Amino acid sequence: MSSALQNLIDQPYKHGFHTDIASDVVAKGLSEAVIRTISAKKGEPEWLLAFRLEAYRHWLTMTEPAWPNVHYPKIDFQDISYYSAPKTKKKLASMNEVDPELLRTFEKLGVPMHEQKALAGVAVDVIFDSVSVTTTYKHKLAEVGVIFCSFSEAVKEHPDLVRKYLGTVVPTTDNFYAALNSAVFTDGSFCYIPKGVRCPMELSTYFRINTQESGQFERTLIIAEDSSHVSYLEGCTAPQFDTNQLHAAVVELVALDNAEIKYSTVQNWYAGDANGVGGIYNFVTKRGLCRGVNSKISWTQVETGSAITWKYPSCILQGDNSTGEFYSVALTNHKQQADTGTKMIHLGRNTRSRIVSKGISAGHSSNSYRGLVQVGPRAEGARNYSQCDSMLIGDRSAAHTFPYIRAQNSSAKIEHEATTSKIGEDQLFYFASRGIDAEQAVSMIINGFVKDVFTQLPMEFAVEASKLLGLKLEGSVG
Amino acid sequence: MTTVPNAYLSSVLSGEAAAWPLGRFNAAGPLGWFHQLRADAFERASALTVPTVRDEDWRFTDLSPLYRLAFRPSRAGGMVSGATIASLSLPETTTRLVFVDGQFNAALSTPALTGNVIVAPLAGAVSDYAAIIRARLGQIAPIERDAFRAINTTYLNDGAFVFAGRNASHPSPIHVLNIATQAEAAIHNRMLVIAEAGAKLTVIEDYVALGDRVYCVNAVTEVDVADNAKVRLIKLQREGSQAFHLSASAARVQQAGQYRSNTISLGARISRETIGIELAGPGAGCELDGLTLINGRQLADTHSFIDHRAPHCTSRQLHKCVAGDTAHAVFNGRILVRQDAQQTNSAQESRNLLLSPRAHVDTKPQLEILADDVKCSHGATVGQLDEEEMFYLRSRGLPESQARNLLTYAFAAAIVDRIGIPTLVDRLHQAVMEQTRTKDSL
Repeated sequence: MSSALQNLIDQPYKHGFHTDIASDVVAKGLSEAVIRTISAKKGEPEWLLAFRLEAYRHWLTMTEPAWPNVHYPKIDFQDISYYSAPKTKKKLASMNEVDPELLRTFEKLGVPMHEQKALAGVAVDVIFDSVSVTTTYKHKLAEVGVIFCSFSEAVKEHPDLVRKYLGTVVPTTDNFYAALNSAVFTDGSFCYIPKGVRCPMELSTYFRINTQESGQFERTLIIAEDSSHVSYLEGCTAPQFDTNQLHAAVVELVALDNAEIKYSTVQNWYAGDANGVGGIYNFVTKRGLCRGVNSKISWTQVETGSAITWKYPSCILQGDNSTGEFYSVALTNHKQQADTGTKMIHLGRNTRSRIVSKGISAGHSSNSYRGLVQVGPRAEGARNYSQCDSMLIGDRSAAHTFPYIRAQNSSAKIEHEATTSKIGEDQLFYFASRGIDAEQAVSMIINGFVKDVFTQLPMEFAVEASKLLGLKLEGSVG
Repeated sequence: MTTVPNAYLSSVLSGEAAAWPLGRFNAAGPLGWFHQLRADAFERASALTVPTVRDEDWRFTDLSPLYRLAFRPSRAGGMVSGATIASLSLPETTTRLVFVDGQFNAALSTPALTGNVIVAPLAGAVSDYAAIIRARLGQIAPIERDAFRAINTTYLNDGAFVFAGRNASHPSPIHVLNIATQAEAAIHNRMLVIAEAGAKLTVIEDYVALGDRVYCVNAVTEVDVADNAKVRLIKLQREGSQAFHLSASAARVQQAGQYRSNTISLGARISRETIGIELAGPGAGCELDGLTLINGRQLADTHSFIDHRAPHCTSRQLHKCVAGDTAHAVFNGRILVRQDAQQTNSAQESRNLLLSPRAHVDTKPQLEILADDVKCSHGATVGQLDEEEMFYLRSRGLPESQARNLLTYAFAAAIVDRIGIPTLVDRLHQAVMEQTRTKDSL
């Protein structure tokens, strides 16, 4: 049993490689001058520079948060290069013009760019380091009025929309890393679904960190107008590095009346080796605002990578009858640390939220669920159900649960349940007595454990997520 | 962290000089260790800052109303009549220690010194049983990081001492009655309970007030449960409506020992129960039942910490809060399962009932698990009375308000019933009924 588990646990990172593409990198360090350089390089309007500088000035007054249940060496923010862009001299007209090296990278990752059209229904806005190289399916989306482009493009072409919504969900002063991101973000995705439109396909972005020692500061903004619907997928893989990399992204979602946003993430960044050397620091602020009545925001995440994961995709349920959902699988192995969860802030009447969190910790890793369910004084009839289960593999791993529940309205109904367990000898015995060996049994048990979350993922992603979980824990998860 | 000037702290610490009834500090005397304990505590208390809402452990409990007030050390001479004692005593108990404003009152007390059981004031016991007490006093509830405990220990000159020797037991529950009578008094109650191997003890720690005055109780209780011993602590907090009640109770449970507690919080303007249980030996167990029943502008905070340090231990906890009017209930239940604590079985439940639109509750059950072969669960709910149960009662002809009161009463009384001392259960039922009946408006 223990040797079988050990084998499962010791799967190396299979997406580790480094692509040699000449990068346009700004010298290390952070100052107003660097921010002005970034802004100038990107040809940004004055108001965006002002936004960045305001965030930077506030950031200077803030201190790094110490409350998460994670431990890492102090980050030297002056030792990070805040901008790197693949050298793209001109706008690319077709896929053929893309650097072949880059294309090979995607092939290794299993992102068959040239087969995108055949894959039907998935438009991929590829972020390679910090600048979008190419965007597909744009025309098809344009037919129904959906805007799906890189953030810098949106700043140029839809400045009014960006200006109207940027920073309205995650203000520049929100937290240390959000402020940092607001000051130095280089690119990201922008998505706008007009009134009454049901986005004809699932929108997908593959993030990829490539240049060594360049922090990634992505900014994503999704706006769903009245009665619209969008499903957005975000997936991550990263090359194997020796130096810790900081990733501080900000994702903002805005759902207006009757709109629905479904945001799915599969995260498999480099987690460091078995001794915890290297790996990505993933300090992300993700928040959705259900601004309209009957709106709905649903977060689904599968977190398998990063040395440290520190993120709380949250919903502010402002509109009456709005709904927030959070489905999460967080798997940690070796020396990984994860402190993740969600916040459901009920402000409107009859708002509902549902939290299903499954944590798996193996090796020497530490996995924490930290969540907040808050019902404001005016949130009549608010309802929440939370379920947080943890599974421990090996006696050196740790699982923690920190749910905060704040009820300020007597009509609130809140339920929270949490359990912690391990794969029991009796369970393995049961499988063995049916002729199923330990390795298969473990994979079946884990698959069963996370099923509630995986069923929430879009089809393409469910397959990928299952694969990633397999990579992390064993060789042959179906 | 910057020090916030506050009236409470400066008043209690400046009164320190006057609080040495045992004579001036004398490290060389037979009670040198005891003087040293207090002197160290004073030094610690002066160095520590009092908690504010910026501290995670006090996030929801704002003590600034306390910090604005100045107190003076409580004095002897508080008057309590025999009739009052008769109304507060329980026929089931024959052994009783009465503390009026923190001062032992021999006339009202019936100590015990039977066979292997000692129930006596701590002031005398520190001389008579120095060896037993020295090893425990201040050891189970450490003062290093807690200003209130350090302050309590600074003022430590008397308290309740309850001891049961090897395999001993006391025929009846031991009643420790703490009565507050003075305004503006800072009362520092202390209790030390020791159950040696195989011993059995039930202790009722009872806090009441005469009159409705502003005072502050800062109590510390330490319980040492040796191998196979069983201790039950029933804590009743019925302070006056303007009072502050800060209490720390800490228990250490050795191999196969059992600790049970029932904590009932009904009174005080602001109250805080800090409960710490250390399951130190294999097979140790604890069961904690708590009820917070508050209304008006009351704030009641319960913070518990169950530390599973050894394998094969079990813990069970059920805490219920009922909050009416603009009351604010806080529950924080932390369970830590250390790496060596394999085969742990732990269950925790937090149930909360809000009776008025402006009442609120903060609950945070916390699990921290470092061992893999464990069964742990926790649950928390916040809600209202069950619609179907309401419908059932109304279909039987009960008016809505009565049906509601009855269900609220039943919710709270379920905890009271677990106390198991008939007279006490009856009295608490009365209290619960009164508190749940008063409000018809909802």
